[in-house]
Amino acid sequence: MQDHTTQQELKDRLSLIESMIAEGRRNTESWGWAFVLWGVVYYLAIAWSAWGHSVWAWPVTMLTAAMVTVVVASLKVGNLPGTTLGRAIGSIWMALGISMFLLFLGLGLSGRLSDQHLFVAVISAILGMANGASALILRWKVQFVCAVVWWVAVVTACFGSDAQSMIVFLVAIFLCQIVFGIYGVIAETQERKRRGPLHA
Amino acid sequence: MPDLPALNPVVHGRLRLALLSLLSGVEEAEFTWLRAKTEATDGNLGAQLLKLEEAGYVAVEKKFVLRKPQTLYRITETGRQALIEYVQALKQLLGPAMDA
Repeated sequence: MQDHTTQQELKDRLSLIESMIAEGRRNTESWGWAFVLWGVVYYLAIAWSAWGHSVWAWPVTMLTAAMVTVVVASLKVGNLPGTTLGRAIGSIWMALGISMFLLFLGLGLSGRLSDQHLFVAVISAILGMANGASALILRWKVQFVCAVVWWVAVVTACFGSDAQSMIVFLVAIFLCQIVFGIYGVIAETQERKRRGPLHA
Repeated sequence: MPDLPALNPVVHGRLRLALLSLLSGVEEAEFTWLRAKTEATDGNLGAQLLKLEEAGYVAVEKKFVLRKPQTLYRITETGRQALIEYVQALKQLLGPAMDA
């Protein structure tokens, strides 16, 4: 059979194997939409709590975003295959979601969400931990850069002024949630276009 | 000159090779996930999966989850071994051309 098979075809088969194995292991890029959603929700919550001065800003936005995430994720994850890697990454983000939800629901309703520095430091530290762990497992440099940005936000929240702390936090949300999320969606779409449909 | 290895025709088909490679990286996968990843038609995908099943390279499990039918595929040890041997044969055939 290989008499009729060109070297280019053989190379094509080899790259097909590599791309398909990588495709099976890919998890985070399919979640670009969730990063964008939560980035937008953080902005909404910050704006509502800053100008509306409402204790409900964080609980309501977090609860709504959590419900949307659960509904959309259950539709998408229903088709995802089980992998150890997938479970590891999923566990990190699920634990993050529960921690953030309880933290902001509790702090918001109790009215103790008053120290901006502490608030930014805690949320940035949690997001830095999740992004860092996920990046190290996936060996994904782009996501590790996001983790570093969140860690910079933690330090700035501890030692910077009110303005510095809030600006770095807003920039971190923009870069690590919205830009990173859009990057994930685009990367997934481009990969699909590049490969095209497979035939027997 | 040493004899060149023959490529396993069951594994060599483009879609079948993609399916085996996909399944080698996961524990098990649904038909719909395999269809989304390969962008193959239902008929073609079903036919190629059947060939892999007949060769003993994939195992199929059909079950109901929340009253909805679900078809799960997983690579067997024979299938994994066939894929490994295929990759080895491919590398041997390509030889120095692999770096080009």
